[in-house]
Amino acid sequence: MRDAAALPEMTPQRRGARVAIGQLIDRSFRYWSLLPAALLFAALTLYPLLNLLRMSVSTIAFANGAEVWTFTPLRNFEALTTDDVLRPAVVNTIVFVVVSVVIEMVLGVALAIAVAGLSRAKRWVRTVAILPILVPPVAIGSMWKLMYNYDFGIFNQALVALGAMPVNWLGSTSVALASVIAVDVWHWVPFVFLILFAAVEGIPPDLLEAAHVDGATRAQMLRFIVLPLLRPAIVVAFLFRAILAFKVFDEVFLLTAGGPGTSTELVNLHLYKVFFEQNRLGYGALLSLAVIAAIVAFLLVSSRVALAVRRNGHSG
Amino acid sequence: MIANLRHVCNLLVAVAFVAAAPASAQKAFVDVGKQPDITVLIGSTPWYPAFEKVVGLYEQQTGNHVKLDVTPFNSILEKARNAVRTGQSPYDLMTLDTQWTIEFYEGGFLSPLTDVDPKFVMPKEVLSYGDSGYWNAQKRWRTSDGGKLMAYTPLGNVQLLYYRGDLLKQANIAVPKTWNDVLASCSKLAKPPSMYGFVARGEKGNGIRYDWQSIMLAEGAQVVKDPEAGDYTVTINSPQAKAALDLYANLLKRCGPPNYGSLGQGDVIQLLATGKSALGDVVTAAFASFEDPNKSLVVGKLETAPLPAGAGGAHGAVIGNWNAVIPKNASDAQKKAALAFSRWFLTYDAQRAYAEAGGIPNRSDVFTSDLAKNPKYRWMPAYLETMKFARQELGYAEGAQVEQILGLRLNQALIGEMSSGKALNTAAQEIEALFKKNGRRTGMLPPLPE
Amino acid sequence: MMTGSGTTIRAGVPGRVYVALALFAIVGPFVWILTASFKHQIAIYAGQFPFTPTLSNYADVLFGRRSDFAGNIANSLVVAASSTALVLIVGALAAYSLHRFRWPTWVSAGFLAWTLVFHMVPVLTLLGPWYVAFRELGLYDTRAALIVTHVTINLPMTVWLLRTFFREIPPEILEAAHVDGCGPFDAFRRIALPIALPGLIAAGILAFVFSWNEFPIALTLTSRTTATVPVAIARFAQQYEIQHAQMAAASVISTIPAVILMFLGQRFIVSGLTLGAVK
Repeated sequence: MRDAAALPEMTPQRRGARVAIGQLIDRSFRYWSLLPAALLFAALTLYPLLNLLRMSVSTIAFANGAEVWTFTPLRNFEALTTDDVLRPAVVNTIVFVVVSVVIEMVLGVALAIAVAGLSRAKRWVRTVAILPILVPPVAIGSMWKLMYNYDFGIFNQALVALGAMPVNWLGSTSVALASVIAVDVWHWVPFVFLILFAAVEGIPPDLLEAAHVDGATRAQMLRFIVLPLLRPAIVVAFLFRAILAFKVFDEVFLLTAGGPGTSTELVNLHLYKVFFEQNRLGYGALLSLAVIAAIVAFLLVSSRVALAVRRNGHSG
Repeated sequence: MIANLRHVCNLLVAVAFVAAAPASAQKAFVDVGKQPDITVLIGSTPWYPAFEKVVGLYEQQTGNHVKLDVTPFNSILEKARNAVRTGQSPYDLMTLDTQWTIEFYEGGFLSPLTDVDPKFVMPKEVLSYGDSGYWNAQKRWRTSDGGKLMAYTPLGNVQLLYYRGDLLKQANIAVPKTWNDVLASCSKLAKPPSMYGFVARGEKGNGIRYDWQSIMLAEGAQVVKDPEAGDYTVTINSPQAKAALDLYANLLKRCGPPNYGSLGQGDVIQLLATGKSALGDVVTAAFASFEDPNKSLVVGKLETAPLPAGAGGAHGAVIGNWNAVIPKNASDAQKKAALAFSRWFLTYDAQRAYAEAGGIPNRSDVFTSDLAKNPKYRWMPAYLETMKFARQELGYAEGAQVEQILGLRLNQALIGEMSSGKALNTAAQEIEALFKKNGRRTGMLPPLPE
Repeated sequence: MMTGSGTTIRAGVPGRVYVALALFAIVGPFVWILTASFKHQIAIYAGQFPFTPTLSNYADVLFGRRSDFAGNIANSLVVAASSTALVLIVGALAAYSLHRFRWPTWVSAGFLAWTLVFHMVPVLTLLGPWYVAFRELGLYDTRAALIVTHVTINLPMTVWLLRTFFREIPPEILEAAHVDGCGPFDAFRRIALPIALPGLIAAGILAFVFSWNEFPIALTLTSRTTATVPVAIARFAQQYEIQHAQMAAASVISTIPAVILMFLGQRFIVSGLTLGAVK
């Protein structure tokens, strides 16, 4: 790390020439630093969000080539409460999000720490390790579907070669969700890894050196220095991984389309069917808001759980 | 700049073509004159290359330019909706899956073809595809009886019974004429895991709904009593429908692979192409890939027959055609140009060229031409025969919702989560509630024993 | 540059075994896709191995009569590179601003919450309004529309991620710089950004990847000439059958420029910041 004293001095002439503009930039920096982001967000998100709110209390029909909006909040709400597919979809979504995100976090954090501890080829390992997120989701869904194929898929070929029974990966209600989760884990561990790897690299080395000098073991250093320092990055990775897991679509759509039965039906898949295939914009919008509310609730619960775990950890 | 250059190139090609081709070869095509460029929304489908070839022919002959916006299949609907819902449509001709047409007809988003040009008449040889191109706004129904001409079919798909001619011959089994024959013969042919007897889609959603409905129709069952007359009484929980569902489940369980509950179109094609299944219920459009050695191990071995009959001797098949439509919010000149292309496309010669390029033509005279005798087109007689009894299904505004209800409940019955009686009762209740909410005249049959 | 490899916790044998296993699990399916790209469709269908390799899928994807793949890759490169550069600039400024300056809570917390909620909104519901807006602006079917929307969808993650890195900067360093006559903007550019370098690289890679693979918006706002790679690859998922062989080839091709550009981009960020710091 650099300390302030090491900053190179500017020559007086250059400073004189740039002083006016420089001061202007500097003095107003506080404002214009936030301005681009705020403007962009105001311009591109405000209207769609308001539109979503308005849709959620309306029924939108089409006649003579134009939209006809009617105010029907109760009708949409009733659709929400009488939607039979929603209950299994919510249960599956919670299972999907909790299981896949927890696995991804554990594997991803561990991988980041392990890779950072390698003495060579770190950057190559990082490039290779993020290959899955480079593959287009539509290809991931299509290719994994072939790998899971009962008769010709590589997994069953391997199982049969080993003398085991083939598994009905996508066609059995008890296995299908786990198969879908496995694909999600493969796809997104690299995401967690990437963020956490950056965070590990950002740990000030002197802290670890000092601990090492003090005779801390590797496990102690991990437990008391590395993990606490990684907490902010873990939180962010979790936050965005959880949100994206709620919004999972392509892979499940291509792998199982929510079946067999309702075994892999997820809320976002259902939303797609309502909003897009059935063209029910009003109810679809309400469902979207419900999804957002569910994510917020999930994040709040998670933060409580995290807090409780930390307290227990300290007292125990 | 590049567009201009391309235009010049097209003209040059056109000139070359005109110079090279004997004058008589072009006579039967219709001369549509010089037209402005048009843009066509079209899906990425197995028949797209054929369509592209025919469009190329049109460009060569007329010097008119057609831009094709090839869109992933799952996204055409979204692009079409966006196009018609705002300002001026970026498309002058759109191809829509027949299931989506109701939304566009009923929403008033399209120009009837006879509004674009009152003199336009559909050639009588063009197959009707269950009148899917006509819309009667009073009845809210697709029918030429009092309906306006909104669309024509650039590709008409329908399910056929595919069978391995060689295997049937070896086992001395006749081509199945009824669904019970299918069950009997597939049971004999099935030797899992090396050979399955019969495959069809069991996948939740459109897959099982569409494939099962052929048997449903053959057994004389219906989803709704008489929607054309406005009678939306739900009849899906009839004993006939239950017989059809039990038969379908039997076929797949006894003769299909263990993952029958999740078989999609791709899986079915894969099992037939690898020679893993003796019989299958698949779309006509798949035929070409079974004849392609890069995609198939059974080249020349798969034969086709019309879908079999039910217990009462009736046949059933559901049409899955595409409809070409003209958006109302395209400019008049563009609409005329789109219609001009359409008139050319609907001629015998264009349709024949289309068939030769691998498409499914829409004119009966192509099917009865010398082409049908060519082994490459040996699916043609079965297709034409099927067109006599094939019909449109779920042709109402609630179609997509009904499909999802049926698609789930049928699948649940297939995988044993529900009895067939319970599945159909549940579906009937859900569909009735849906119609009731939308103000339709509805009701339902007494429930089946569960 | 910030950390020598000797200063982190060395991976022991279990760590190395874990890395090896993880890489195997990660690379395995990718290798499967790679082999599929050299197979004919029927060899993929039948799960044949060994098989007769063919280059026909690559030829078809790149030079086929229907192919615009080179154009699609060019579009994707322009869109992903521009939107990544922009989102890093806009996002870093905002993240730093929120952390460093005493904004009232309603501004800082409000902004962060807003970005997070926006990130939760199903993309499906944004497509309609965005389509209408960009058509009105005359930006439908342009790469500019895609760049702006990709910056927007990637901004939440960028801001949140960079914020964690800026928060790790000890305030004394920035105070000392201030005492030395270093203005707020200079402090941001010369001190904060270099310290947050690993974060910038990670955020940049993620923004790039999400833009590179983004499908629904790209589909809605483009047509044939402006379509990006994911739209082109989705075309292989046809109505009745998926052209797995070509799709695999296209996926492999699509990862190559992405990997190269990520390498170049990292170097660019590193050298840009080093220059900024030394100048």
